[in-house]
Order: sequence, then structure tokens, then C-alpha cells
Amino acid sequence: MKIGFINIPFKEDFSIKSLFSFEKTATNMLIAVVTLALLAAFVVGIAMFFTHGHHAYNVTREHPWGLLLAVYIFFVVSSTGLCIIGSLGDVFGFKDYMMISKRAIFGSIVTILAGFAVILFEIGHPVTMVIYNVLSPGLTSAIWWMGTLYGLYLTFMIIEFYFLINNDMRKAKIFGLTGLLIGLAAHSNLGGVFGFLNTRQISNGVFYPTYFILTAFITGVFLAFIVMGFRYKLNFPANAKKMLEGLAKIQGLLISILIFFVTWKMLTDIYGGMPSRAEVAVHILSSLTFQAEVLLAMVLPLIVVLTTMGKKPVLMFWASMIGMVGIFFMRYNLVHDTQLKPLMMLKKTEYQLAPTWIDYFPSSAEMLISAGGLGLCILMYYVGTKMFNLDEEAHH
Amino acid sequence: MARYGMVLDYKNCINCKACEVACKEENGILMGADKHRIWVGVGEIEGQYPLLDLTSNVFHPSQCQQCDDAPCEDVCPTKATYTDDNGIVRVDVEKCILCTYCITACPYDARYIDDRTMTVDKCNFCTETRLARGETTTACQNTCPTKVRIFGDLDDPNSEISEVLRTREHYSLKAHLGTNPKLFYLT
Repeated sequence: MKIGFINIPFKEDFSIKSLFSFEKTATNMLIAVVTLALLAAFVVGIAMFFTHGHHAYNVTREHPWGLLLAVYIFFVVSSTGLCIIGSLGDVFGFKDYMMISKRAIFGSIVTILAGFAVILFEIGHPVTMVIYNVLSPGLTSAIWWMGTLYGLYLTFMIIEFYFLINNDMRKAKIFGLTGLLIGLAAHSNLGGVFGFLNTRQISNGVFYPTYFILTAFITGVFLAFIVMGFRYKLNFPANAKKMLEGLAKIQGLLISILIFFVTWKMLTDIYGGMPSRAEVAVHILSSLTFQAEVLLAMVLPLIVVLTTMGKKPVLMFWASMIGMVGIFFMRYNLVHDTQLKPLMMLKKTEYQLAPTWIDYFPSSAEMLISAGGLGLCILMYYVGTKMFNLDEEAHH
Repeated sequence: MARYGMVLDYKNCINCKACEVACKEENGILMGADKHRIWVGVGEIEGQYPLLDLTSNVFHPSQCQQCDDAPCEDVCPTKATYTDDNGIVRVDVEKCILCTYCITACPYDARYIDDRTMTVDKCNFCTETRLARGETTTACQNTCPTKVRIFGDLDDPNSEISEVLRTREHYSLKAHLGTNPKLFYLT
């Protein structure tokens, strides 16, 4: 389809009707039903938000950031990770990874859009944000940099994708590299949102801005296995097997580095027994969500990589599915653990702030909107597979 | 222009909560325990009778510390939080997007969400009420029966607050964070 000088090469058989035509296997039907249920959850969650406003959420004065922020981070980390994976082929020229470039870059667009859809209902005044982000920029704010850079990043990802589907690899490389650099800057600023919190000692420091880049790469590899698994229905051709074997080995290295990072973070947090850091770290170690993060996102996938050396992509597909659940807990823990420790302003008996730990459990509205984000992501990706040819084309 | 600050002779506090009521009344703060610009923290008596630790039973009035280097201002993405010409950290409700980063970043737990405007609110030394009317005291100071609070211009060497800070030992809360609060607690 041509609009002026813009050429969008839709698939020849794409139509609204084609969206409803898919192979009616049990797996496909299950995915369709689950996606519809997730989208319905989104609608119900939004209805609850519009009915009760922020009171529909279980966030409080002591715990102002909740599940929606964690889910936003989950999606934007996924986006950055997919951008890194997509860049391996079309930006850095690794031929084996070219076959996933279009799919990964499209994935990076839909995941960040899903993230924006979720955070839209967390930010109290999104329209005001758009206006005063420009008219009154807070240049010392990590949120300003993160939001602005992510906006730019999305623009570059769309342009890169446009050139990819038009097989203009030179321009795709230029916009891809620029988008990747902006995405990494945005993403480390998201880590900086937590790292700059001087008063929250468990998060303050250089750890999160760098760790976010590492975990984005890990998330990207997990998602690469998942999208390729669905693309080939777990019956991978030789070139996909070769690429996924390489990715699995990279994943083994990345997860090992992550375990090293997290181990030293915990050791330095606990060592010396600083009250508002050591006790929080000990509390985190005993929490089920942290244990789930370690087990699902680190230990299990690493065992699969080490025992198969990347030669069993089907097993890695399932390990990646489990890994993404672990990544979700990783994001949830980051947000919740930052706010665990009360600020100890002696509000012992007058108000609700007990000097122990701040409790938080997401409300149904928060859970429904978060689930809806996943539904939107799946829907947008599905529509993309119907609209565009996301496979590598023969003449590359 | 002035540079307003406050001294709290907190050991005189009897926890009558008149300051909290006066603040709510003067500034139209919503009812409810978690809607407050100022509060009185209470240290419970520790120990077992008869070995009670009476020094632990302290009343500790607190609020926004009006930091010279306010973390809440630094983290605000739209400059909704700003320091005015009188050194008072304030919130421009037109610009607040309710991202709640300031609530997370404030070391003093001094911010809350005003349900009417759905923006973040905090103590502003009665700038929009008493100071706007030309008065020279805040509501909490004016009502305090034991004269815990002294409000005034830190840049005026002849002001009562400057005189007290020159003659009485004092400390600031969480001074190690480099926030340079303009609230001072007398020892």
C-alpha cells in the first residue's frame, strides 16, 4: 500500500477477514480464548478505574507505586530486550540472527505500546504529562529522561521496522543503531528512577541502571525463543536451530553474570548490617516472590542451558516461558522492595504506618489492567503477523 | 524576599494535636488519617514496669522539612514541585501529573495525594492562606499552646528564629542525605 512516498508492504492476503482465519487447532483456539479473556479483563479493569479513579488501586501514601508500574517495567524491559536481539542481525551484521530481526523489532514496538497502555492508567494526568513534559521539562528527573527517550525510541523503532519491511537494510541499520542507543539510554534511566532514590538505600546507587540493561538482554533472549517457538510450532528448521543454539549459549553467559551481580548485591547489602539496607535485603531473601524470581528466571533456565548446551530449542522454549514468569517477579520485586522499608518518621500510633514492613497486594483493578496489557501485546503481535511478512526474505 | 524556616522545640510538645487541626482548618485539608500535611509522631514507652524507659516516650511534630536541596523537586518530571522566591517548596497543581515519584523520593514521608485535585500536596507554610493575607505566622505555630514552633525569615539576623538558632543547639532530620532542611529541632 502506498501513501505518498510511504510504501507499506502489507501481505497480499491481509484483510480484516483474514484476522479471523487461522488454523483451528486446540492450541490456537486456547490462545485465542485466553487473549480474548485478557482483553475483556482490560476493559473491566479500565471500567473500575474510571468508576473509582486511583482508589481502585491498592497503592497508598507509603506504597505509591504498585503492580501497574511493575508491569510497565516488564513490558519496556521486554521491548529493549527485543530491540537488542533484533539489532544483532540488522545493525551488527550477525547473519545467523537476521532471520529474527523483523520479528524482534516488531515485538519491541508492540511490547512498548502495551507498556504505555498500562502506565496510562497509573499516571494520574497523562494529558498534563504530554503538555508539561515539553513546556516545563524537569531535566533533573530520571522519569522525564526515561519517558522522553522512550518516546523517541518508539519513533526510531517504527522507522527501523518500516525500512526492514521494505528491505532497505542500510537505512534500517542507521535507524536501528540510533534507536538501540536511545533505547539503552532510556532503559538505564528507568533504572536510574530507582537508583537516584537516596532515601531508599536498597535501591540507591549504580546497580539498577546497569542491571536493567543486562536483564533486558536476558528478557530479549527468552522472548526470542518464545516468538520463534510459536512461529515454527516448535518444529524448528535448521537455520532457526543454529540461531537458537547461539542464543541459548549467550543466555547461559548472561544468566551467570546476572547471578554473579545479584549475589554481590545481596552480599554488599547485608554486609555490615546497615539498618535500612541490610534488614531490607534479609527480608527480601526470605520473600517468596524473590525466591520465585531466582528459581524461575535464573536457576531453571541456566540448568537447561548447561545440560543441553543449547541443542534442545524446544526445552529452551519451555524454559523461556518459565523464565518470563520469573522476569515478571523480578520487576514486581524491584518496585515493591524499593518501598518495603517505612521511612520511620515516628508515625507509630497516630497513623497506619507501623514501623515494620509496608504491605502491598495488588487490587483486582490493577490485576485486570495488567492482564489486559498482556492481552493487548498478544493481539497486536498477532495482527502484525497477519499484516506483515516478519520472516527473513530470501534475497538478504 | 525572605527565606522561611521553622524551629521546633519538640520537647515542649504535649501531643494535643491542635496544630494538626489548625492546619486542616486553615488550609482546607481533607479529613482522614492519611490526609495530612503535618503530624505528631509518638514514641511509645519502652520497657516493662517498673523499669520503664521514660525517655522513649517522645512526641515528635513533623512535616515537610522545606529542604534547600529538595529530592522531591529534583525528581519531578514537569517541575510541578518548585521552590518559590521565599524558599518554600511548593506544588503547582496545574503541572502535577501524579506520577508519585516525589512521594517515593521524599525522605520525610511528607507528601500525600489530595483527592480533590488528584495531585500531590504538602506543607507550604500556609503560603496560599495566612502568608497571602499578610500574616507572619503559620496556623500550626499560631495555635500551639506550648509554643513548640517558631516560624520566620532565616535570612533576617534579627528575626526570632535566627536568634534561637544562634543560641540553642539544634539538629535537622536525616541531615546525612544532604537535603539541607529548613526545619530545625532544638535539643
